[in-house]
This record gives sequence, C-alpha cells and structure tokens, in this order.
Amino acid sequence: MRIFLRLAYKDYLVIVRDRGGLAMLFLMPLALVLIMTSLQDTTFRALNESGIRMIILNGDKDSLGMAIENEIIRSDFFAVHHEIDNKPLTEQSIREAVAAGEFQIGMIIPPGATDHIRNQVKSSVALLFSGDSTELPRVDSLIIRMYVDPATKNSMRSSLQGSIREFAARVESQIILNELTREINNNLMIPVANLNRMNRGTVIYKEEYVARGNKSVIPNSAQHNVPAWTLFAMFFIVIPFASAMIKEKEDGSLSRLLTMPGSYTTIMFSKILVYLVVCYLQFVSIMLMGVYLFPLFGLTALVITGKVTSLTVIAFTAALAAIGYGIAVGTIARTHQQAAIFGSISVMILAAVGGIWVPVFMMPPVFRVISSASPMNWGLNGFYDILVRNAGLTDVMHYGFQMILFSLLCVIIAIYYHKLRKEVA
Amino acid sequence: MTRKLAIDIQNLTKYYRGNDIPAIDRVTLGITEGHIFGLLGPNGAGKTTIIRILCGLLTPSEGEIIIGGYSLKSEMVRIRRIIGVVPQEIALYQSLTAYENLSIYGGIYGLRGEQLKKEISGQLHKFGLEKSRNIQVGRYSGGMKRRLNLIVGLMHQPRILFLDEPTVGVDVQSKNVIIESLLDINKTGTTIVYTSHYLEEAEILCTSLAIIDEGRIITKGSLEEIRKENNTEAKLEDIFLQLTGKTLRD
Repeated sequence: MRIFLRLAYKDYLVIVRDRGGLAMLFLMPLALVLIMTSLQDTTFRALNESGIRMIILNGDKDSLGMAIENEIIRSDFFAVHHEIDNKPLTEQSIREAVAAGEFQIGMIIPPGATDHIRNQVKSSVALLFSGDSTELPRVDSLIIRMYVDPATKNSMRSSLQGSIREFAARVESQIILNELTREINNNLMIPVANLNRMNRGTVIYKEEYVARGNKSVIPNSAQHNVPAWTLFAMFFIVIPFASAMIKEKEDGSLSRLLTMPGSYTTIMFSKILVYLVVCYLQFVSIMLMGVYLFPLFGLTALVITGKVTSLTVIAFTAALAAIGYGIAVGTIARTHQQAAIFGSISVMILAAVGGIWVPVFMMPPVFRVISSASPMNWGLNGFYDILVRNAGLTDVMHYGFQMILFSLLCVIIAIYYHKLRKEVA
Repeated sequence: MTRKLAIDIQNLTKYYRGNDIPAIDRVTLGITEGHIFGLLGPNGAGKTTIIRILCGLLTPSEGEIIIGGYSLKSEMVRIRRIIGVVPQEIALYQSLTAYENLSIYGGIYGLRGEQLKKEISGQLHKFGLEKSRNIQVGRYSGGMKRRLNLIVGLMHQPRILFLDEPTVGVDVQSKNVIIESLLDINKTGTTIVYTSHYLEEAEILCTSLAIIDEGRIITKGSLEEIRKENNTEAKLEDIFLQLTGKTLRD
C-alpha cells in the first residue's frame, strides 16, 4: 500500500507540474462538449431563422402554382427567391445556380400546371358521371422539377423533399376537390358544397416522449448531446495516459521502477487511481458547465437533479474503461507516435460504432452487433437511460459492470503483454 | 577465508526474439561479496543484457542465477529489496525537484519520515546538490542529473549495486565525485557491479573484472590474474584490444 501511494503521489505530481497539459485535459473536453452541443442545437434553429435558400420559377401563375408557392413561403423554413442577379429565371439558370451552391433547392412549376390538373379532373369527372364503367384513361403526369444542391446532406435533402411534397400534395388535393366540386355542380341538379370542407384533419398524430416509471419527459438538446460528447472526451484520456506510460518507458524511469520493490501491476494501479480522479473531474466540470454555463450560451440547461448518484457510477465505470484501454495502448505501443495515432483513431472508431455520431438503430445490422460490444455504447446507453429515460441506478448497473469487465480485460492484456515482452524481448 | 558470492551465475543464456544466435551464451560467473566488479566489453557484447537480467528486467532463456542468496527465478521480490540500480539513462522525473524524486524513490524502498529526510539531505550534501534540492531536475546540468541518478540507486544502502555506465558524459569534477563515492560505498560492504567503456576508470575502481564479447566471457579475475593469464604487464586497454580485436562494432 505504501508503494502504491508513493507511486500515485508521483503520478499526481507529474500531472500537476505539466500545467499546459493539465489545462488541455480540462479545457479541451469542455470546449468539445460546448461546441458540439451548440452546433447541433443551433444549426436547425439557424436554418429556421435564416431559411434554406430556395429559388422558384413559377410558370403557372394560377391556383396550383400560387398555392404551392404560398405554402412554401408560409412554412418559414425557406428563404424563397424569384430571380438571380435581377435577371429573369430560366430552367438552365436555376440548374446552374443550384449546382454552384447558391441555392440549396430550385423548383420549377411548369406553365399550365393548374390547367393540367383541371383538365384531368374534368375529364375524369365527365367519365365517372357518364355511367361508363371502363377504367379511367391514363394521362400524362404533371412534372414539378426540383434541383438539389449535392452538398446538401442526404438526411436534410430527404426531409426537405418530404416537406415540399407534402405542401404540393396538400395543394393538389385542394385543387382536385375544388375542380371536382365545380364539375359535380355543373353536372348534377342538386348543388353540393365545396368538397374541401370535408378535409378537416380527422386524423391527428400526437407524440409524447415516454420514460420509465410511466413518466413523461421532455428531452432537450443538452441531454442528448452532453452525454455523447462527454463520453467521447473522457475516452480521449487514452492519449495522455498512454503517452505518460511511453515517456516513462523511454526515459528509463519505468525500468528503474521495475527494479524496485513493487510490481508492474502496482505501477499500473497507481496510474489508474490518479487518472480516474482526473477523468472524474473532467466529467464533473462538463456537468457543471451543462447545468450552469449552457444557459449563458443560449443553450438549454442540462438537468441532472436526482440523478447525480447514477451519473457518478456510470461516469466512474466509463472512466475505468477508458483508462483500462489507455493502459493496453500504452503497454503495447512502443513510441509516442504509435500511441497517439492508434489511440486517437481507435477512440474515433469506438465512438463511431458506439453510437456517438450516428444512432445505433440507424446502423446496418452488422454494426448494431459490433456496437453492442463497444464500451462507449454501454456508457452512452447508461447516460441516456439516466438522463432521458428516467432510469435509476439499478437499471444501469449492468452497463457499469460491463465497463468494469472491459477495463479489467485491458489491464490483464497489458500485464500479460508486459510479461511476454520481458521473456521474448 | 573464502568470501561468499554476492552473485552466482550458472550457464546464463539469452536469446532475443527472432534471433538464433544467443545474445548471452552459457555465461558462468561468480561475483564475490564486497567486490567492485567490472563487466567490460565492446558495444553489443552483452553487458547491458546481463545487467538487465540480473535486475529482473529481462527473463533469461536458460541458466540459474542466485543474487544475495536468493534465486532470481523464484525470489525476485526479495532481490529487489537488496539491490540498487543506476541505469545508463537519466531515469528521473524531469518536472519534479531533486527532493521530490528522492522522496518518491526512497519511499518505494521503504524509507520514511525523519530517516528519509536525513538520508536525502545527507546524499544531496555529499554529491553537492544540497542547494539545488528544490529545483526541477529538467533544469539541472548533465553532471548534476548524473549525480542525482546515482543517489537514487544508493539511498536505501543496497547490498548489491548495479551501475551501467555511471560516468558517461559527465565533467571531470562530477566523475571524480562519483568514483570517490563508489569507493566509499564499497567500503561499507556493498558489492558493486559496474559496466563502462572507460577502461582507465575500471582499472582504478574494480577489484575484479570480466571481459565479455559476443555474449561469452573471454577472461575474468582480478587485473593481476588477467595479466598473468595473458602473459602481459600491459594496461587493461591493451589487453582488452588484444582479446576483443580492433574490428569496429555496431
């Protein structure tokens, strides 16, 4: 125990003496969490406020064209433009402007679009009221062309196209019902009211976030982003940790320690203790920033009331997993370069498969399986269960055990590898 | 009266990974208690490998080693308590002061409280580092670091002290302090195992020697015994060149 405490004191002194490194250990994770949360939180808001740049060439100038355009403008989601450099629009100029990235979307409503719909409805109604039971004749579809900037992300493009299609379909059905009403009134003796009156939204979709204990919660961007980026930042302790180990190897102090009373395991566990405290302090500082500083940056405050114990347990076990991984990297890597490159890229990979960037349910099946074996995924699930699913300590303990086991496995690999190297070096 | 062996090495062999030629080839050697033993040889001869095996940093491929009456194979924990090691590298924490380095290493060896403080002060005074005790080691000169590196191996008063090139790259004054200190320590009964490329230094310091080349001991004994064996009255350096040749080594 005496040796362990001496070694821990040494590691503590080495960390606190490197003030620049210490500042980076705390400031970089804080910056990462703040920036990532801000970016993810404000991007959508900014889009709403400034609008997605859209250019429309409305050749119709009648009910359908005007209605689609009005719906798009009314949505407040798009900044609609009708000209480029004060010049009249053509299909080619729209195509070029979108291709150049000046607009995210270009829309061309062809001339006579309303007439096309009207004629289509008129001929269909005429046929329906003629008593002829033959199938309605196939007619040419009306094509409303949309050009999309290829730099627009797939997910955003799908969402935009979905919205525009929804507006267009709504307008189209209104026009069809209007035309249908007119045709019916022309053909029947008994007048009918506008059929659009039937369209009163009889089906309503109501969504609610549900959590354990039959509770309803309203998750905010802080609760979604902070756990993910905190975990990501905590795992980056792998690099300074492994570097500290390699420095001791290179300057001979590890060899000297190994000739003294104590063992490699004692040396490793003293480091684990000190870096565990560092990692936990990182976590505490990020949580405090989420609770108290986020509102100052215009972000929603992180709510952790009543969840501190569970969060502490998951944070400690996640820190253990990260440090265990750092020990394995630091033992196996022979140089700083190896540790830095392998450490940082492997943490990125662990984050990717762990669901930090892309939700696990959206991954292909094989990655979902890999994800279920990723310590970052266990940590993330633990944090999400506590923060947004209202889980208690007993509900998330299994994630903690998984991370402890992962850490132990890494330490065993490191000790075995050290022994092997001593024998076969 | 025959003195006991501090270190008894029997048939020590070490192969490095992927190498069919042994780095150490069936070395048998006895180092008598209280001696200053010089292990000499050209670059790549196997000196550092032997020292690293004796300190427990490498596992031998074959052979038996007894250090201070304890088996290297099964009693390494006990051996660690009776040996001191001064590596060739400056194995110190550069951001810590001399006092902090010594306090940590001394603490690991079991020194504590007043005994630890007294030992640190005494050694720092002896090696002329008392005034710089609270300065970070990174700001020390090469000679100061080398002296402090030596103190770490001495402060728990080991029965056996291993030194790997302890005077490399230091000025004459520092070298003199180191040599005198080693002679003083030896007078208290500490056995010293020492490697160096400075053969004049070895000639002054060592009571017994072994010259190793390509993993094998080619001669051993006191300087007089070696001279007798080789029918020469030459200096150690000339004997060394005669036995190991003049070919450059990597």
